[in-house]
Amino acid sequence: MAFVEINGLVKRYGALSIFEGFDLKMEATDRLVLIGPSGCGKSTLLRCMMGLEDIAGGQISLGGKEYIEGAEAGKMRIDAKIQKDVGMVFQHYTLFPHLSVLGNLCLAPTRSRGMKKAIARDKAMELLQRFGLADRADFYPSQLSGGQKQRVAIARALMLDPKLMLFDEVTSALDPELVNEVENTMQDLANAGMPMMIVTHDMHFARNIATKVVFQERGKVIEAAAPDELFGNPQQERTRDFLRNVLHING
Amino acid sequence: MELDFSFLLSYSGVLLQGLSTTLQFVGLAALLGLIWGFVLSLGRTSENHVIYWASTLYVEFFRGTPVLVQLFWVFFCLPLFLGIDLSGFASAVIALSLYSGAIISESFRAALKSIESSQFDACTALGLPRGVQTIFVVLPQAVLRAIPNLLSNVVSLFKESALVSAVGMADLMYVGQNIANNVARPIEILTVVALIYFAIGFPLTRAVSVVEARLLKVVKA
Ligand SMILES: Nc1ncnc2c1ncn2[C@@H]1O[C@H](COP(=O)(O)OP(=O)(O)OP(=O)(O)O)[C@@H](O)[C@H]1O
Ligand SMILES: [Mg+2]
Repeated sequence: MAFVEINGLVKRYGALSIFEGFDLKMEATDRLVLIGPSGCGKSTLLRCMMGLEDIAGGQISLGGKEYIEGAEAGKMRIDAKIQKDVGMVFQHYTLFPHLSVLGNLCLAPTRSRGMKKAIARDKAMELLQRFGLADRADFYPSQLSGGQKQRVAIARALMLDPKLMLFDEVTSALDPELVNEVENTMQDLANAGMPMMIVTHDMHFARNIATKVVFQERGKVIEAAAPDELFGNPQQERTRDFLRNVLHING
Repeated sequence: MELDFSFLLSYSGVLLQGLSTTLQFVGLAALLGLIWGFVLSLGRTSENHVIYWASTLYVEFFRGTPVLVQLFWVFFCLPLFLGIDLSGFASAVIALSLYSGAIISESFRAALKSIESSQFDACTALGLPRGVQTIFVVLPQAVLRAIPNLLSNVVSLFKESALVSAVGMADLMYVGQNIANNVARPIEILTVVALIYFAIGFPLTRAVSVVEARLLKVVKA
């Protein structure tokens, strides 16, 4: 069984159907990048995996253990013990504005994982050091740049030792000159062996960081391949169209 | 008409006593009203229909009836229902807490609604249990965002508290009326009473705008 498996995922928003039996596999050594046109369900897929969406059918498993099983509205089964091995960073800033950087990092470990305050603090400082943010530990989110906020958000997720990290367009809201610092942080994390699923519109970054790229459209995987193959020699007409469009727009 | 404020000096002790009583029960009622108001606001944003309707009905009832009627009801009817004697002070605190809770819950509700859904997503992604989420993420943000309105609520409560003089509580207003009756100089005494209310209420009102400007900078990350 693959590290991550999504089988027969069914997701609808009211009458709007996003997935009707969606399948995807990912290995623990993979960094999977999802690309596709706006509205094709990339964010929705990550949100389903994080347990943020009620799914109407299908199963999602991590490390061979199924942790989300869809059912009719409101009856979805979710195993919190495994869900907590998944970390996520969002497109929009989601730091807690009333807490300092350190407070943001330590809240979940101390309040829901029973970690001692001093230990959480040390761990947080270590992470901030690694990200070059140690001098910002006592700052509030409103005093940080967008790039710093996103890197703090990554550090906050890492405090919980996730086995899989999900990134949903984490650089889309940033000024162009701040994109690099966040992408470099993600690259460092990749080099350290963290399995990740990444949604991005930055094709250059996608090609560099991915071990596998998945092109999806209208709730279906159209093509999945190693980055050099998918970008260099796409097999499907729709993949080619999509890439021609985005690469044209990106210049 | 001749105005003479000099006699007031001999009454300053009683007036201060009245003011102190007012500040005490308003302070207590404001504190209890804040807690009760937050609980009510959670009820009004609850997905549980029973909790939602119970709290909504409560809030609408207390907002939709005269405070004076509520005061009379708590002073004269509540003791009969409970079968116990309540001191005037306790009744004033109870009545004003029940009332201000309803008003304050609206301020909290607006603040709760202004918290972006992405904050709740972040809590889920971090595996925060519901209780931790409410106390450490929702409550502080709701309070920060509600502070300007809450200050206004407290100022209003302070002013409306003069109504308790109608049920014989020796608050600032009641003491003022008493003196006015004794010395037959209602103009001077009522003017002074009004000025005392103003002297305390005005700085609080001003504080609202200062606090508002400062807080918004912090909270809007
Ligand atoms: N909460 C919601 N309620 C109703 N419809 C929704 C909701 N969230 C998303 N949708 C719809 O679901 C579809 C997929 O949305 P999703 O955000 O997953 O797309 P996406 O691939 O991430 O797009 P983008 O590249 O623009 O971020 C869209 O048509 C969107 O309008
Ligand atoms: Mg999206």
